[in-house]
Amino acid sequence: MSPDWKIGFKDKLLAILGARGVISSDDELIAFECDALPGYRIKPVFVVLPETTQQVSRVVRECFEHNIPYVPRGAGTGLSGGALPTAEGIVISLSRMNKILEVDIANERVVVEPGVVNLSVTQAVSPFGYYYAPDPSSQIVCTIGGNVAENSGGVHCLKYGVTSNHVLGLEVVVPDGDIVELGGKTPDHPGYDLVGLVVGSEGLLGIVTKVVLRIVRKPESVETLFATFDKIEDAGASVSGITARGVIPAGMEIMDNLCIRSVEEAIGCGYPVDAGAILLVELDGPEAEVTAQLPIVQNVLRDNNANEIKIAKDEQERELFWKGRKSAFPAMGRISSDYYVQDGVIPRSKLAEVLGKVGELSTKYGLRVANVFHAGDGNLHPLVLYDGTCEGEHQKALELAGDILSVCVESGGSITGEHGVGHDKKRFLSLMFDESDLDTMNLLRCSFDSKGLCNPGKVFPTPRTCVEPGMKSFKEHPVQKAGQGEMY
Amino acid sequence: MAESKTIKEILSITGKSNSLVDRSELESYSVDGLVPKAVLFPETERQISEIMKVASRESVSVIPMGSGTKRSLGNIPPQLDVLLSTQKLNRVLEHEARDLVATAECGITLESLQRALKSNGQYLPVNPMHTARGATLGGIIASNASGPLRLRYGTLRELLIGIRVVRADGTVFKGGSKVVKNVAGYDLPKLYVGSLGTLGIITEATLRLYSIPERSESYLVSFTTLEKCSETVMELLKSDLVMNSLELLNPALAREVAERTGIELKRRKYALAIRVMNVDKAVSEQMSLVKKVCNKGRAQGVTVNGAQEEKLWEEIVNYPWNTAQENMVKLKAGVLITDVPRVFSELEEHAIHKDVTVYASSKAGNGIVDITLKGESSSLSSLVKSLRQYAGSLGVSLVIEAAPPGLKSGVDVWGDMGSGLALMKRIKSNFDPAGILNPGRYI
Repeated sequence: MSPDWKIGFKDKLLAILGARGVISSDDELIAFECDALPGYRIKPVFVVLPETTQQVSRVVRECFEHNIPYVPRGAGTGLSGGALPTAEGIVISLSRMNKILEVDIANERVVVEPGVVNLSVTQAVSPFGYYYAPDPSSQIVCTIGGNVAENSGGVHCLKYGVTSNHVLGLEVVVPDGDIVELGGKTPDHPGYDLVGLVVGSEGLLGIVTKVVLRIVRKPESVETLFATFDKIEDAGASVSGITARGVIPAGMEIMDNLCIRSVEEAIGCGYPVDAGAILLVELDGPEAEVTAQLPIVQNVLRDNNANEIKIAKDEQERELFWKGRKSAFPAMGRISSDYYVQDGVIPRSKLAEVLGKVGELSTKYGLRVANVFHAGDGNLHPLVLYDGTCEGEHQKALELAGDILSVCVESGGSITGEHGVGHDKKRFLSLMFDESDLDTMNLLRCSFDSKGLCNPGKVFPTPRTCVEPGMKSFKEHPVQKAGQGEMY
Repeated sequence: MAESKTIKEILSITGKSNSLVDRSELESYSVDGLVPKAVLFPETERQISEIMKVASRESVSVIPMGSGTKRSLGNIPPQLDVLLSTQKLNRVLEHEARDLVATAECGITLESLQRALKSNGQYLPVNPMHTARGATLGGIIASNASGPLRLRYGTLRELLIGIRVVRADGTVFKGGSKVVKNVAGYDLPKLYVGSLGTLGIITEATLRLYSIPERSESYLVSFTTLEKCSETVMELLKSDLVMNSLELLNPALAREVAERTGIELKRRKYALAIRVMNVDKAVSEQMSLVKKVCNKGRAQGVTVNGAQEEKLWEEIVNYPWNTAQENMVKLKAGVLITDVPRVFSELEEHAIHKDVTVYASSKAGNGIVDITLKGESSSLSSLVKSLRQYAGSLGVSLVIEAAPPGLKSGVDVWGDMGSGLALMKRIKSNFDPAGILNPGRYI
């Protein structure tokens, strides 16, 4: 492509979006250089801010015709670099498509544009006694479009599932610019479950422009338990014990001692700083169910050597219990200048074993690791603490985190439970998937995006091209392999 | 069309004891009236892969199946070479009870799987049609079959977390993982739920399980009018109850179900079957709330538990397909919850005017409507046509899930698949370039 393509292309974008819909000045583009994974920065050529599905479609069609790569973006809260721009490409920000289009309480559906903030959905239906279940920590800013791309979870997904369990329909601008409707307000549409496929595809299969969500009734009753343990293994065993008794709590969260101390130092929420671990258990449901389950959970906690067991006596105390957990990431600033968070998943039953290995790695690298995790579903968020001003420590932290992911996969788990692979973890994807698994995923990507223009360079460890149906897809060209060229 | 030389090569992979080739035996395996050239029962994933390598090289059409209970699902195949059953891949490979996760080979019947899981007090919370007739895990996944438990637990889509598949060219791959929360790579398990054997042969599945609840109880209750019944449905859904199942039955089905279960229903009208599974005390308290809501609608009901409760749900799910299967058509639609009453009153009008018996039930909290028509084939055909028109007016598809070949010929049993169809076709042609897997039946 000739270097002056930018001028002609900007004119095309302006014709579609007008001046207020195109960002091209360096000082404004800086804001789009990265998402919430700040270690990597790339300045896009332009950022566009479409307001309608038609505009998205026309922009994508131009990109398709002129082979311009593009990256969709919501609020930029992603932790895996999924919205990291492509050099020589544009960013399509969906932030102006932020309308709630329909609230249908009787049918338990809400239809939204992708730029709608997660929490606004719950706010819109709350007066009717409903809520939107997936609740990532960033829910006051993150958007539904981003949640769909990443298949976001949250603290309540053990019982209520992740984003894909709550999305019934999508309108998608596919990479040739066509607008397709997948699924809808009604269940069981005939045909492949493309909704299930697009959710969690990290923006590689198209740009979502409309989302049909399922909302659920607010539970009649909520009880939150707080328990302390000397040993984190006992907290872990309690988690398995509770589910083994047939109780599925809305959420179960564990924090280790390092985490407890930093949280206490940061916000003083009354956590005992000498505890080896804290386990939070939240039960919700019909009052009869919660009342019946409460003593079962208490017994399991006692059987597993819990020291102190508290039940929140009111909403205020419940919020206090949760406040510490929700402040865990920012609180790390109290005990370390920098931290790097990972998102590995392990089978619940391997918790003690994996934590032991994480401890060994921490000693080996000479870096502290604080553990906070969604214990109910085995989703670890190890926080590797380091000092970015020390030469080589950032790199060391990355390597340690990578080793932790290897331990997770060896235990039968996954490299990511809710943050996505993005740019950050693509080098680890082959820990889980072999050549034929990745080849199969590539067949899918090629079915949507034959030119590889939609969020290129993400998720997959090595770039793969698409071939005509009937031929086996092949791996990278020798030129690419030698690092002399890149495929878009 | 496969030549006999090629069929022989394929047969050599499974061996004589794991295949059928005699015309007399093959006839009972016909699909929509077409008799296969061979039926294969491979014992390993490796054999399946070898079979597919030959099949793709020689363009042999392959229809994958489990026990074959849903063989009539799909359009009439334009050709049929080989039927491949996964029945002999029937082991539970792993059941880690502490993780509430199990991995099994896909030819296992749901019944055997449940039996194995039960030894650890756990189960896969699905109860689709044909379970008692040997429906397999793989078949249930591939056909996206669901039962009344989906109100609380969703369908296989929510429960399938990992998968192994043999692709059309024999490549074996896996998708998903063995942990309940995982977003690494595309969500391939979801693509295979409801893919009907067109994208590969599913050989293994990893599933999210639940503990068998302490107690289960159901309430079968009948109403004077459809209106009262529907009002009760909406009130139950708006209440604080957490029901496992909420099934609306039309009078014809309610009568048969009650009779076959040995339950005496006072009124012979629309009925609701409500199931609550929970810890003991929570069942008692929720059941009394269920009765309170129903009694406002002047209903009369019977509490059912134990073996009779199991029988009740089996009949609701399977009747009349657990009797002779002649002259019957099975239809399914997914509609808005608020449209369910409208669909039932439409069906009522048809039940009066035609010489066809209409059995209908709805997963009323999900909007799924299951309809079985029984009668003379000429009347069946015209009724299906007019019901499909009606479904069109609601903007939904009415899928013909089972019907005599005569009724299916010249009809697309799936109806409109919407604007995503082009993408689906592209996926199909990328996964199965030679078009050998279940060709012409789905996508």
